[in-house]
Amino acid sequence: MDELTSGELKRLGDSRMLMQREWSPCRYHCPVHADVRSYIELAARGRWREAIDVIRERLPFASVCGRVCHHPCEANCRRAGVDEAVAIREVKRFVSEQQGASGATVRRVVQDKAPVAIVGAGPAGMAAALDLALLGYRPTVFEKFAVAGGIPATAIPPYRLPRDVLQQDIDWICAHGVTVVTGVEIGKDKTLADLKSEGFAAIVIATGLALSRTLPIPGANHERVYPVLDFLTAVCSDRAPRIGSDVVVIGGGNVAMDAARTAVRLGATRVRAMCLEAEDEMPAWDWERSEAAEEGVGFIHRRGPTDIVIRDGRIVAVAARKVTRVFDADHRFDPRYDDADVVSVECDTVIMAIGQTADMGFLAGSPLAKDTRGRLTYDSATHQTSDPSIFACGEIVTAPGSVVEACASGQRAAKGVDLFLSGKPIRLADALPPVIGEMAPDTAAKVSKSPRNAVLQRAADERRRDSLPIDANFTADAAMHEAQRCMGCGGGAEVLIDKCAACLTCLRVCPFDIPVVTDVARIESSLCQACGMCIVECPANAIVSRSWDTREEIGNTAARLAGAGAGPKVVAYINGYHAPAAAWGASAEDALPGVLEVWLPSVSRLGVAEMLRAIENGADGIVVVAGYLGGDRYPTVRERMARRVEQLRAMLGEIGMNPERIQLVHCADEGRDAMRRAIVEATGKIAAC
Amino acid sequence: MSEPVSKLESALRAGTFVFTGEIGPPKGTHIEPVIHEAVASLKGRCAAVNVTDIQTAVMRASSVAGCKLLLDAGVEPVLQMVCRDRNRLALQSDLLGAHILGIRNVLALTGDHTTLGDHPQSMPVYDLDSVGLLEAIVRLESGTDMGRDMKGNPNQLDGSPRFFKGCCVTPCAEVVDPQIIKLEKKVAAGAQFVQTQAVYDPAAFEAFMRNVESLKVPVLVGIVMLKSAAMAKYMNRSVPGVVVPEWIITRLTEASKEDRQKVSIEICGQLIRQMKSCCQGAHLMTLGWDHCVPEIIAAAEA
Amino acid sequence: MIVAERKPMDEIVAMLAPHRKVLVLGCGGCVTVCLTGGEKQAELLAGQLRLAARQAGRTLEAAFDCITRQCEREFFDNLTEDPRTYDAVLSIACGAGVQYMSELYPEVPILPGMNTTFLASNVAGGVWEEYCRGCGDCVLAWTGGICPITQCSKSLINGTCGGTNNGKCEVNPEMECGWLRIYERLKALGQLDNYRTLRAARDHRKDRGGGVRRLVLKDMAESQESGNE
Repeated sequence: MDELTSGELKRLGDSRMLMQREWSPCRYHCPVHADVRSYIELAARGRWREAIDVIRERLPFASVCGRVCHHPCEANCRRAGVDEAVAIREVKRFVSEQQGASGATVRRVVQDKAPVAIVGAGPAGMAAALDLALLGYRPTVFEKFAVAGGIPATAIPPYRLPRDVLQQDIDWICAHGVTVVTGVEIGKDKTLADLKSEGFAAIVIATGLALSRTLPIPGANHERVYPVLDFLTAVCSDRAPRIGSDVVVIGGGNVAMDAARTAVRLGATRVRAMCLEAEDEMPAWDWERSEAAEEGVGFIHRRGPTDIVIRDGRIVAVAARKVTRVFDADHRFDPRYDDADVVSVECDTVIMAIGQTADMGFLAGSPLAKDTRGRLTYDSATHQTSDPSIFACGEIVTAPGSVVEACASGQRAAKGVDLFLSGKPIRLADALPPVIGEMAPDTAAKVSKSPRNAVLQRAADERRRDSLPIDANFTADAAMHEAQRCMGCGGGAEVLIDKCAACLTCLRVCPFDIPVVTDVARIESSLCQACGMCIVECPANAIVSRSWDTREEIGNTAARLAGAGAGPKVVAYINGYHAPAAAWGASAEDALPGVLEVWLPSVSRLGVAEMLRAIENGADGIVVVAGYLGGDRYPTVRERMARRVEQLRAMLGEIGMNPERIQLVHCADEGRDAMRRAIVEATGKIAAC
Repeated sequence: MSEPVSKLESALRAGTFVFTGEIGPPKGTHIEPVIHEAVASLKGRCAAVNVTDIQTAVMRASSVAGCKLLLDAGVEPVLQMVCRDRNRLALQSDLLGAHILGIRNVLALTGDHTTLGDHPQSMPVYDLDSVGLLEAIVRLESGTDMGRDMKGNPNQLDGSPRFFKGCCVTPCAEVVDPQIIKLEKKVAAGAQFVQTQAVYDPAAFEAFMRNVESLKVPVLVGIVMLKSAAMAKYMNRSVPGVVVPEWIITRLTEASKEDRQKVSIEICGQLIRQMKSCCQGAHLMTLGWDHCVPEIIAAAEA
Repeated sequence: MIVAERKPMDEIVAMLAPHRKVLVLGCGGCVTVCLTGGEKQAELLAGQLRLAARQAGRTLEAAFDCITRQCEREFFDNLTEDPRTYDAVLSIACGAGVQYMSELYPEVPILPGMNTTFLASNVAGGVWEEYCRGCGDCVLAWTGGICPITQCSKSLINGTCGGTNNGKCEVNPEMECGWLRIYERLKALGQLDNYRTLRAARDHRKDRGGGVRRLVLKDMAESQESGNE
């Protein structure tokens, strides 16, 4: 990490650019590198509209991912070292669904560049189309199904992803000038050559893995043996297939779990998943497996089907042999069996969920090259196929992955298309800023604990009876409170080394003992908790915040004071850490006359300079509404705030102003009514000045 | 051994138990009553009488003037000289002047800090400390001053003074060792007699005297008259190195108002009686009650 | 380091009374470290002065700036504000900075916002204490590392006076007797002979007695004339 100087800061223009110097792990590990920390921070302040815009800046399928993302952000969340990871996905789910499709900003640009065809309206294709539209191209997406969305539309069961949630994302993407043509299958209704001749300057193949793999075993072609995608697509299209009462799902992945749980919902009395893997080897996410188990799905581990036993035209069992190993020593998939150990598993319906494969039908009549294994030839560095104007992205060329990974691939391909159509060599910069390191345990120990907010999950007995979502969205309060658990990793203090006088003040005021001062102060970003105490107290103004800055609030306060007209004006700085979501937004409709409420995540960053400026800008007085002892997220805030208020009062006294103009109350965690009463009382004292 | 330069020096050499007294010049020019009192009560009873030098940093008439008037009235003065107010130029100059006026005893003191007095804003000088002042006196006696001429040789005086040089010590300080070392340095620098800070603890004083025996300088124990229990308590509280024991406070408290002076005199007498065997004299600081001196001496000799 | 404290507000206000446009200039050196004269204090003081002027019914334009050190010519190149465009500069550096700046900007009144007090060490967060008086003739070698010039209120050199009271100085019951500390330290070091040795009167030419003191390093010194270019 390069050291920062005031010159460099000036060059960056905005201190928020400092966030680019190092990434928090949530952002770094997100395939589309959504600015997680920023949108969580906005959510923590109830700024939902701004939050959704930050999310959608990188993630077009915000609502879908709010439901189904495998959330590597959470898996890498540093809060886990303190108590539990922040429930990022759930916050995102609340933010996106609360805003809906119309709530997020649509950034329309002039689309005067070439038309581009995208084959497949799944996450990869739609993400590519959106980015191309934003770059000024005219994208048209061709989709063989009647609905856009790809797997989320056709194979993710509605209890995991309600259709209207998906539609929010599709609508928002389309609002950017993305045209989706459904019911047109390339290779059948049109060929790639047709698209070219229609004037599409480039084509992006994003057809995904649309076919289910099956096992070449006896009985596999029985009508009650369903390839998993056929089964799920039918369910998603409200054409639920007929199944019996005793279902065996073959496979141990996430799609197998979806199929098994869907079978439960279709009324099967017994559903079992049979897989090669032992429980801890299964590719399905832990939570998918445990939720399936709760809903009554049974598991048959370490069995490989050899035969679907059919008697009198009906399936009666699956014969399966013992699996002696699944992976070789290098953890490559290489199963071995014991043919002497074969069991017969009773059932009347079988769903084959052992993986998906590409449907290469789009190639019909096209000279595009395939490799020896029949896969589309593709250069991962450029996304180009053997025809340089035809690109590929998504699962057809990547490993099977999640929605967010498909989006990342689509976005990368869009960049490739843009470079190609601009006549530039396709060089895709994949370099990322460094990720901040792990937090030392003794620092983690100083962070106040705050348990993760749970989402309300319906009882398994109840949810297995319908296709409604299995859990509820966060309430606004819970979403906000959960977002407030974010430690703002990497959003902390940065020292301008040219201004630092090595005075040790930062070291003395840091509640977490992070700064080290040698020739200048150094504040290790992986340890900094972003409380901002040092920023406020630094006598050289040599420490800046990478993330939210109280000075931004000063600007807002100045404007609000200027706009407040005649009459008494009091600024109330409120420590919002404990406040419910409603309170943050309350100041507009619920405001006390003559009181401008300024809500801050913590008053830790409220300095004397800011408050003095408010007085200068026309405030008659200031009420600082701080929390109780321990009522702030950071230690020592109460004591520091008391000192700052005393300092300001003394400064006013020096110039003949009544120090009583500055009031400090401690009730930020007592609720809106108590706060209003305290502000009224304090305002009375100010009015008497 | 050279001729004694003063009656005080003679008296101490003679080995008799010597009394000295002390007066303070007034804040103003009206000095006659002080001199009159000294003549009436101290003359003939005290071998010499100290004249304080802007005592406790409260501005008063000069010590030299008081000394000169005592001399004229037939009382031998001891010129107190503090380092607080004058640099080495002024100190040497005043020493020469004092000698010219016939003053022969000098008590070299550091002096209470300016901030304790009535001109706390004034500049504290302390160009020399008490040891340096004694060295300066010895230098003048040897015919040179502290300065150097162009060639780097000491400046020669046209006529040199001679003084009987004294210094002060606090025998009952909580930590007495640094006091004793400082006293050794003063003696090494030229001090010939010692007048102590007030002493109320004969046992501690005796122990102190054993420690300084080897210095072979006459010591006059300091006796400050306690006019009331309140004053005793004040001294305990505020005067460094002075501890007034409980029995004295009790006696003063129990005494009726008209008896108080008598009791005070008795206490002084008793203290001197207890300590006279281990020292060479007593320095009586009556703080204006000079008329009590005859009775104190009588009580001390009873 | 040098400690300076902000002057009383009344004095500053009176000083600035004839001026309408003032630059409050902080110093990034000692006074930043002792939290009294850095950029933050300059910012606060400028705000306070604007408010004070408004209270008094007049207008005052007060901006702030700060440079690394006001006692070096080169750092003035880094000023964001041009002092010549102001009626006056209120420097909150130590007295050295104020005077030095006055020499660099002879056409601008450079006013002192601070009282420069002492050479200090930090004894606790937010607490500085005088440790050196710059006497020019260090005696610490024989005083157990405790300075009698600074720590003794009378700057005595031959030992404690009669004013030591329960280990405290007669001047201030909060202040320890410097000489008692020296005595204890020398005793602990087994160096009491250093106490016993008679110390000659000091040569005050090395102190304030000799006019302006200079340090000229022969091997580094530039000629004054060219240095001023």
